[in-house]
Amino acid sequence: MADDSPASHRRDPIKSSVGNVAAQRRRQNAVTVGKERRESLVRAKRLCRVGATGDGDVPVEENDMITDEEVSLLDAQTSSAVGELKSAVAYQGKGAMQKRVNALRELRRLLSKSEFPPVEAALKAGAIPLLVQCLSFGSPDEQLLEAAWCLTNIAAGKPEETKALLPALPLLIAHLGEKSSLPVAEQCAWALGNVSGEGEELRNVLLSQGALPPLARMMLPNKGSTVRTAAWALSNLIKGPDPKAATELIKVDGVLDAILRHLRKADEELATEVAWVVVYLSALSNFATGVLVKSDVLQLLVERLATSNSLQLLIPVLRSLGNLVAGDSHTTSTVLVPGHEITDGVIKVLVKCLKSDHRVLKKEASWVLSNIAAGSIEHKQLIYSSEAVPLLLRLLSTAPFDIRREVAYVLGNLCVAPTAGEGKPNLIEEHLVSLVQRGCLSGFIDLVRSADIEAARLGLQFTELVLRGMPNGDGPKLVEQEDGIDAMERYQFHENEDLRNMANGLVDKYFGEDYGVDE
Amino acid sequence: MAMVVDYKHDSSFPYWTSIRRRFDPDSPFFSSGNLERELLAKQVALDLTEDERNQLEKMIDNDARGVFCPIVGCGARLTSLEDFEDHYIARHTASCSVCSRVYPTSRLLSIHVSEAHDSFFQAKVARGYAMYECLVEGCDLKFKNYKGRQQHLVDKHKFPTSFEFFNKAHPSKKKRLKNQQKRRTHKKDEEASSKMEVENEIIDGLVSAVSKLSTSDSSPSNISFGRRNARGLTFVPRSIQAPREKK
Repeated sequence: MADDSPASHRRDPIKSSVGNVAAQRRRQNAVTVGKERRESLVRAKRLCRVGATGDGDVPVEENDMITDEEVSLLDAQTSSAVGELKSAVAYQGKGAMQKRVNALRELRRLLSKSEFPPVEAALKAGAIPLLVQCLSFGSPDEQLLEAAWCLTNIAAGKPEETKALLPALPLLIAHLGEKSSLPVAEQCAWALGNVSGEGEELRNVLLSQGALPPLARMMLPNKGSTVRTAAWALSNLIKGPDPKAATELIKVDGVLDAILRHLRKADEELATEVAWVVVYLSALSNFATGVLVKSDVLQLLVERLATSNSLQLLIPVLRSLGNLVAGDSHTTSTVLVPGHEITDGVIKVLVKCLKSDHRVLKKEASWVLSNIAAGSIEHKQLIYSSEAVPLLLRLLSTAPFDIRREVAYVLGNLCVAPTAGEGKPNLIEEHLVSLVQRGCLSGFIDLVRSADIEAARLGLQFTELVLRGMPNGDGPKLVEQEDGIDAMERYQFHENEDLRNMANGLVDKYFGEDYGVDE
Repeated sequence: MAMVVDYKHDSSFPYWTSIRRRFDPDSPFFSSGNLERELLAKQVALDLTEDERNQLEKMIDNDARGVFCPIVGCGARLTSLEDFEDHYIARHTASCSVCSRVYPTSRLLSIHVSEAHDSFFQAKVARGYAMYECLVEGCDLKFKNYKGRQQHLVDKHKFPTSFEFFNKAHPSKKKRLKNQQKRRTHKKDEEASSKMEVENEIIDGLVSAVSKLSTSDSSPSNISFGRRNARGLTFVPRSIQAPREKK
């Protein structure tokens, strides 16, 4: 990690220090810091480096390679800053307010400096009760802001550290109110966003303390960083797994309108956060999904997919579309009807995603297509004759495994008529023959060989379609040519009994004793 | 044309049905997209190289999947799905040089060779020695006949009743092509080579009869072994059977 060439590394090379020992220690730290760094990168919490007011007087250091000495220095400074705060809070005399703000500011700076703020030291020194006191009603805005900022970064740490904010929650929620100044409300929302991101337990606490309505209201204005922060915090707050919060959110007066407005007009940053709200609404709450599908949201999502190139925005927008298609049959049966302009629009943007370089977009676009292909015959014909198929065929042979599995779902769904009661679904021979002629069989046989149970199952199911459905009894020959028999025979000693039975059954039925005799 | 079909397999095949698939927001299906969200959001502190990013993604993917080799008795941990094919070819393709059947371990292969192609083995069986080894490594029990071993596997080691160690023979692709070619050239030159044809058939028939012979035992014919169409215990070499009807 330390010695990469400049071309692959945008970081400054590590300044060589006196002697090897220090350098070695730095490298060791890099490894531990590296691990922690990875975890922090994936956590849903966000550190506040530059405050809501844009107060960037803290030089934002990107060097996260702190040495042991630096860590203990920071810890010591933090402890003493908390000590200062304690006496400032106790002090009643002249200039008390300024004293408090200064002490808070100092603590805030220490908590904003590096990738890993000295949260533990702050907590150990007893920061929380002091910060709670600083949030009391009637306190000056500056004080509220600094206190909320400190709490935000404390909450961005490890789970136990986030939980330490419990005593502060009711006050943070209270300061979301419309009487608060915007920067203060935003900073409180940020802190609450971090708390919500921690886990279900804390989310439930916040919900029961009434955090949802004020946050929802903060999302209603047209623009501003406050709206964005509120949307982000809401997306963390409603992410479940209990659908209650999502259902409650869509019912708040003005929320649906605001969502549509932002998807239509907002800049990409705001639209991104709002899109994530829609992701959770559509994934968790059937009620919300129903409401959304009946609105203009599908059209707005299509437009965003068509016009944006920001991966950050495209992911939640695509996923929202996917959730709406997956979650409610109404979407494909009533809105995305073949022949309607919006349906063509959807196919078009999904094709755009298939062409993209990004793995997530290709995979999730394939998923959406597979669900549309699970609709009526007309839906299948629509996709079959679109630009999607050549792309899918290519992806089936060249893409990473994740994507290939989703592509398999699309292609298979194109070959099978809608499920109607018991028994084998009918084949759509035209589609099957064409896709097989265009070479998709080898991709499916590859899936049969995979160690992934679901993929292997898909491969075997498609193989069965080919064996059964290719005209003139061509199926077995084609399967053999792609080494399909070999692939299926591997299952004789496979752990999974279902797959074993499936594979054995096919081999017995189509490649029995008489196979090849009549040549 | 009547093929003996294993009804159990046929009736319960889970055919492809086209249905919508929905995922919960915390489903592993969405994890790479979620990862992307968090990485992109932390731009300020972010300075990940391409390499680190790939490592991070792999870490997430593999934690979710934890791929283990699914071949019975193997359990090898594979770092990724892509590795499985290499692992399979390296470890699980011990093939019999006589009949081309493939086994997942060399031990099973050698058990097969003894049981299927070794007349010495059959001679001992005929004399009543317990020659059929239990397939589970470390068990070390031996049985006098195939059926007895089979029952032991089911009773003691919870093997499925459908499991067959010596199962239907499916000639390898090479052999199938060879057979087909042979039949084609025979048809071309029917008269001239009819004699040869009969001879070849006799040889083929003898070969197959011998291979059947070496695996037959006193078990009743409802235990499948050898070719599925074998009915009863006595064999008639193919060349002497009545010519088969075309489909």
